[in-house]
Amino acid sequence: MKTLNLKKYLTLTRMGIIESLQFRIGTFVMIIGNLLYLTLVYFLWKAIFASSGTDRVNGMTFYDTLVYLVLATALYGFMEMYTVWEIGRNIQSGKIVLDLLKPIKYKSYLFWSYSGELLRNFICVFLPTFLVVCIVTHGAVPLGINLLFFIVSVIMGVIISYNIDYIVGTICLFTESIWGINIMRQVIVLLLSGATIPIAFFPEPFKSAVFFLPFQAVYNTPLMILLDPAPSLQTTGRMLALQLIWCLVMTVVSNLFWRVSLRQITVNGG
Amino acid sequence: MEPVIKIRDLTKEFKVLNHREGLKGSMMDLFSRDYKTVRAVDHISMDVEEGEIVGYLGPNGAGKSTTIKMMTGVLQPSSGEILVGGTIPYKNRSRNAQGIGVVFGQRSQLWWALPLIESFRLLKDIYQIPDEKYNEMLELYQSLVNIKPLLHKPVRQMSLGQRTLSDILAAFLHDPKIVYLDEPTIGLDVSMKSKIRTLIQALNEKKHTTVILTTHDMGDVDALCRRIVIIDHGKLLYDDDISNLKTLFGSYRTLKIRTGGDLASKAREIEKMFPEFAVKDDEEWISVLVDEERAKVMKVLHELEETMTIKDMQLEEIATEDVIRKIYERK
Repeated sequence: MKTLNLKKYLTLTRMGIIESLQFRIGTFVMIIGNLLYLTLVYFLWKAIFASSGTDRVNGMTFYDTLVYLVLATALYGFMEMYTVWEIGRNIQSGKIVLDLLKPIKYKSYLFWSYSGELLRNFICVFLPTFLVVCIVTHGAVPLGINLLFFIVSVIMGVIISYNIDYIVGTICLFTESIWGINIMRQVIVLLLSGATIPIAFFPEPFKSAVFFLPFQAVYNTPLMILLDPAPSLQTTGRMLALQLIWCLVMTVVSNLFWRVSLRQITVNGG
Repeated sequence: MEPVIKIRDLTKEFKVLNHREGLKGSMMDLFSRDYKTVRAVDHISMDVEEGEIVGYLGPNGAGKSTTIKMMTGVLQPSSGEILVGGTIPYKNRSRNAQGIGVVFGQRSQLWWALPLIESFRLLKDIYQIPDEKYNEMLELYQSLVNIKPLLHKPVRQMSLGQRTLSDILAAFLHDPKIVYLDEPTIGLDVSMKSKIRTLIQALNEKKHTTVILTTHDMGDVDALCRRIVIIDHGKLLYDDDISNLKTLFGSYRTLKIRTGGDLASKAREIEKMFPEFAVKDDEEWISVLVDEERAKVMKVLHELEETMTIKDMQLEEIATEDVIRKIYERK
């Protein structure tokens, strides 16, 4: 029964959009919270650059850093899926049993249920920030073919991020607690993906090590593609290829881990 | 005809960590490998025919939910055989899912923030229900219970009764062969209970859906099930027609009397006179559960009248509830 029925999934997207629009205040609070965080980022890095004495730290000017971080925050605001919470809550409440009894894979069910919100966040969080950054900086963001690559890269970033979340969520099947695990995941992803500190700032052996992990492919790669002042097809291509590899690896790993865990659970009960 | 559900020697064992007490014990538990095996379901066999409503009963923790989880394919049996509609549920969970509907007590599968109709539309697409079947079903629902006012109401604003009703309708929406209802009437008021019973009955008749119903409410059983299956400690205690149940334990009747004076002390007296019968008392009545094979009710009443003045009396047929309690307690 391998019929590719797209309608099944798009309905979930539709539901997600309607549902997320139900909570208007939530949307506004999210935008305000985002602005507050950006203000904090602005002053923090301004202080860092002021105290360094030069206008270039690690090859990045204050402006570069700020643009990078503002966009990283916007990207984070749009891509963070709270999958782990969802899985954890479903496990604790037992609702997961009902979801497992749908003729649709749990992983797809969850992803597509969330996709509506993803779309909303893209429009309400990322797009406005992006436009503001473009207008305010006039030209810090090169506009051209890189936008297309950026979008491809963001989609792959979402897939990688979702798979990381899904693996962590699967661990909840065993621990039945969510909070600690999720905080740990959040910190690791935020730090190693470049969402809080540009990866260019990392000290050397650490920096190279980070490039061998999937996390930087979530936020850093799309941003590098977007912000590269002198893009060459070769470097972009290499980055996208690496991302694609991570996409495939993480998908396979998370599917496998889920299947093995689920078998474990169905054998031992939970 | 081939049964829809075929279960042979079904057993499910769980490994449970032996928890120790206190702070030190909890710390040690972190590294403990001291497991004990708990047998939740113990060699159960039964067949369920198409279109039956089977009441699946047992005290809390008897293994009912575990059995249902195995039937739906969420749990894998430790041993034994289980066939639902000719397939092994845990091996073909997706395929099995298409043919079943589930309602688990207070958990809802509906989208909390959205009007009911959106959840229905989603189910329509997930189960790939054709338009005409879907509309047919909605019309049927409309004729059975008035769902129009519910359809556009967000689920979170519904009362518990309305939500349960909606959940049951959602479970039947894709016209499944089997529907599992796990305590569907829990926490509902009398009129809602009866509404839900009527609905289940009607859907069972119209769609010929097999229904497996677990409940603690004997009203549900009396209203819906012709056949009941009782399990306790994972073992099958009873599997037969509900009408045979009452004769199984002889013909019991409850004699209720009201006397003057202190009811409790009178009850003790009666207990001494008839040690073979269960005697209970509340503020108003003393009730004696009389086994008619041992002594006729009239004879008991006669003897009682000689020792005390009886102001009032009632005679009650035994309720299913009492019989089932007797089965539970027999162990």
